[in-house]
Amino acid sequence: MQCHPPYGRGLMLHRVLFLFLLPLLAGCGETGVVPVDALRLEAFEDAASVVRPEQVHLQLAQLEPLESDHPNLGSSSSTWWVRVSGWQGAPRNARIVLDNPTLDHIDAFFLDGPRVLGNVTSGAALGLEKDLIPTFEIPINEGHELWFRVRSSKPVLLPFSLIRVDKVELLRSRRDLAVALYTGMVLAILIYNLFLAFSTGQRAYFSYIFVVLTVGLVQWGFNGYDRLIWGDVPWLALNGLTLTGAFSGLAALIFARHFLEVRRYTPKWNRLIQVLLAVYGAALLAAILGRPMVAYNLVNLGALSAPAMLVLSIISWRRGNPSAPWYFVAWLIFLIAVTMQALRDFGVMPSTQMTAAFMPIGTVLEMLLLSFALGNRINQLKRSSDEANAKALAASLENERIVKEQNAELEARVRRRTEALAEANRDLSSTLDRLKGAQDQLIQTEKLASLGQMTAGIAHELNNPINYVQSNATSLSRDLEELIEIIEAHSSALAALAEGAPGAGDMVDRARERARQLDLGFLMDESRQLIKGILEGADRTARIVRGLRIFGRMDGDDLVEASLQDLLEASITVLGNRARSKARIEVEFDDEPPLLWCQSGKLSQVFMNIVVNAVQATESRWPEIEDRLVQVQLKTISSGEGEPTALEVRVRDNGTGMDDVTRQRIFDPFYTTKDVGKGTGLGLSIVKGILDDHGAEVTVESALEVGTCFILTFPLRVEGAEASKVA
Amino acid sequence: MTDEIIRVLYLDDEEPNLFSFKAAFRREFEVHTCDEPHKAVRLLDEHEFHVVLSDQRMPRISGVEFFELIMPDHPDISRILVTGYADTDAVVDAINKGQVYRFVSKPWNEEELRGVIRAGYELNRSRVRNAAQGTEVLATLQALGAEVNRLSEVLNSGGADAADEVVSGLETMKMKIEKEHTRYARFFGYSSP
Repeated sequence: MQCHPPYGRGLMLHRVLFLFLLPLLAGCGETGVVPVDALRLEAFEDAASVVRPEQVHLQLAQLEPLESDHPNLGSSSSTWWVRVSGWQGAPRNARIVLDNPTLDHIDAFFLDGPRVLGNVTSGAALGLEKDLIPTFEIPINEGHELWFRVRSSKPVLLPFSLIRVDKVELLRSRRDLAVALYTGMVLAILIYNLFLAFSTGQRAYFSYIFVVLTVGLVQWGFNGYDRLIWGDVPWLALNGLTLTGAFSGLAALIFARHFLEVRRYTPKWNRLIQVLLAVYGAALLAAILGRPMVAYNLVNLGALSAPAMLVLSIISWRRGNPSAPWYFVAWLIFLIAVTMQALRDFGVMPSTQMTAAFMPIGTVLEMLLLSFALGNRINQLKRSSDEANAKALAASLENERIVKEQNAELEARVRRRTEALAEANRDLSSTLDRLKGAQDQLIQTEKLASLGQMTAGIAHELNNPINYVQSNATSLSRDLEELIEIIEAHSSALAALAEGAPGAGDMVDRARERARQLDLGFLMDESRQLIKGILEGADRTARIVRGLRIFGRMDGDDLVEASLQDLLEASITVLGNRARSKARIEVEFDDEPPLLWCQSGKLSQVFMNIVVNAVQATESRWPEIEDRLVQVQLKTISSGEGEPTALEVRVRDNGTGMDDVTRQRIFDPFYTTKDVGKGTGLGLSIVKGILDDHGAEVTVESALEVGTCFILTFPLRVEGAEASKVA
Repeated sequence: MTDEIIRVLYLDDEEPNLFSFKAAFRREFEVHTCDEPHKAVRLLDEHEFHVVLSDQRMPRISGVEFFELIMPDHPDISRILVTGYADTDAVVDAINKGQVYRFVSKPWNEEELRGVIRAGYELNRSRVRNAAQGTEVLATLQALGAEVNRLSEVLNSGGADAADEVVSGLETMKMKIEKEHTRYARFFGYSSP
């Protein structure tokens, strides 16, 4: 990842190959390399890069032998001149191979003293023009010298070897194969995890993909394959490795932050990670600004994050982060691989194909481990999520069970209650039936009671006039006899006088005497009075009978167009002494109020009931009849246009009045203020029913010791509407 | 009985009834009519009536109540209740409270009513006579009591002629008692012993 080995570079190509294709590796232990012991390397540093090939022979004094055939000259801006010898005697088909594709500029010179016999140029800076494995022919004349001029912003590691030309091709193809294998693996991991990233949506996967991509690119860069991508762009050809290194560092840090959940487990480390990220950012900046050395060194500085992340993972592990051990192991493997690479680069470890394989193997292992770790983490998340789901499911199942039980219990209770209610309902129904029966009976009783009242009233009212009509008739006939007697006496006397009969005078005297005896004047007067009485009686009887005719339909539901005035008068008449003998009844009627479609008999019952109540209320309050007053009014209510809209009947008394409680209950069935047995308590409730049938409103105003006023308002309607309403 | 004219008072709130009554009975009886109870009371106080009739249903006061009212002062008058319609309550009250002699319903039968009035008169007379005789008996008894007292005092004085006087006094008393006894025996209808 980010931290390429400080000086690590390239050369790991074969190792990758060997690594992953063991069978292949097993098959080619011998690569056709001519024993390199023959090659001897001597170098001098041209710090100012001023030495020209012609001047090299003047610098021989500075030449120092290099002990290894894999010398590491470090990283600097200097130009290195290396004289390669020991190739003399090698077959003609042997080639000098400088197997480090990261070197920017490599020039091979054939020198003969100050004469430059020929030169060959190679290096990363040339992009795709040259092979990834710089290869140089050996001079034909063994007396000539072979010099290499090397300049690179990356560490100058010079793994020279002498290989047969056909073996070089083999090396190249193997290198290609190894990189292809590595690339294939990285791509497989990349694609697989990319798929996972999108399917899980986990941030850690995306940063992991970033890591895989950049690590893969870095490894490519070490092997020079990066120039396949940007070899045509010189700047990128020079700086590609640095850039991918910096990106790789960024990716590793970001991934660590996500994967180790730094904010959650090790929040203080977040600051360090930010600093390291800044270092890599600065490296990128430097590369862009054309300071490749600075960029490269910054990238190396960022490599400090490698041990830092290792420590971080341990701390996170201790703090219970289950992902931390995986990370730790993966990172450890990577660090080991990097360390081995470094050791190899410094020659501490032999530069064999085996050691060369450490780095790619390490990175692949790291990638795989992290991938597993991620998978594990996802699984863990899924497991905990599953567990949570299972718990939730269990809880919900438990809830469901409880709810079911409760439902069952509730259902049972509902069933019991329903049964009880049905039972109660049946009881109520039968009670209601009985009550209805009782009510019918009571209504009948009330009807009979009012019929009784009426009968008594009518009897009394009728019997009086009948009495004096009859009595007067008797008396009148007697008076008439006497009058006739007087008339006859006079008539006889007059006849005698006319005839001049004797004793006529006596007859006149006797007639006069008889008239005096019988008191003629009184008789005449009395007769007139008697006849007057008879007429009066007859009239009164007729009036009562007329009233009775209205009452004739007491039980009838037939609608008739009746005059409320007549009904009121008839009611009061029929009540007769029952009302009039107990209170003063004042009547005040509008002239000719409109007729009302109504059930006249029932309305008469209403009026009688209310008037009787009013009379009784005054009786209870006043001992003297003069003080008892019942006023009956009939008014026509008109609309704004003068059209009559309603009839209003007011029955006002100055009786005891009622409190609010009584007033509100007077229409309730069976509510009575009368003594037991004196009233059914149904009178006013029946009244209310009848008034409701007529669509009439009833208002009761009352105050204790002031009196009560019943206000009945009968809306005037067209016949049809009224009929349908009442029917 | 006697030839005394029968005085009748009729109380009714309806004037036509009063007139009818008067017309019907003026030939036999001295008929007074009245449409107000308090006037009737005044009339009763001023004149002696033998029979009083009253309508039951009147505005201020019922017939029964009117009878109740006049009874203490005129216990002997025969009371006849006339009514257009008699409910049970009125009848019960008439008998218990008003001590009504007869009950006549309207329309009345003139002959029957006439008979009832006459009978009422007889009852009145009888009551009056009884009362008078009771008064007389009482007076006699009081006189006898006084005589007994006087004789006792004579005895106590112990004079020489006291015994003679007491004896003659007792003889007189015996004669008086026998006389009274005879009179009442005849009146009450049993023979003297």
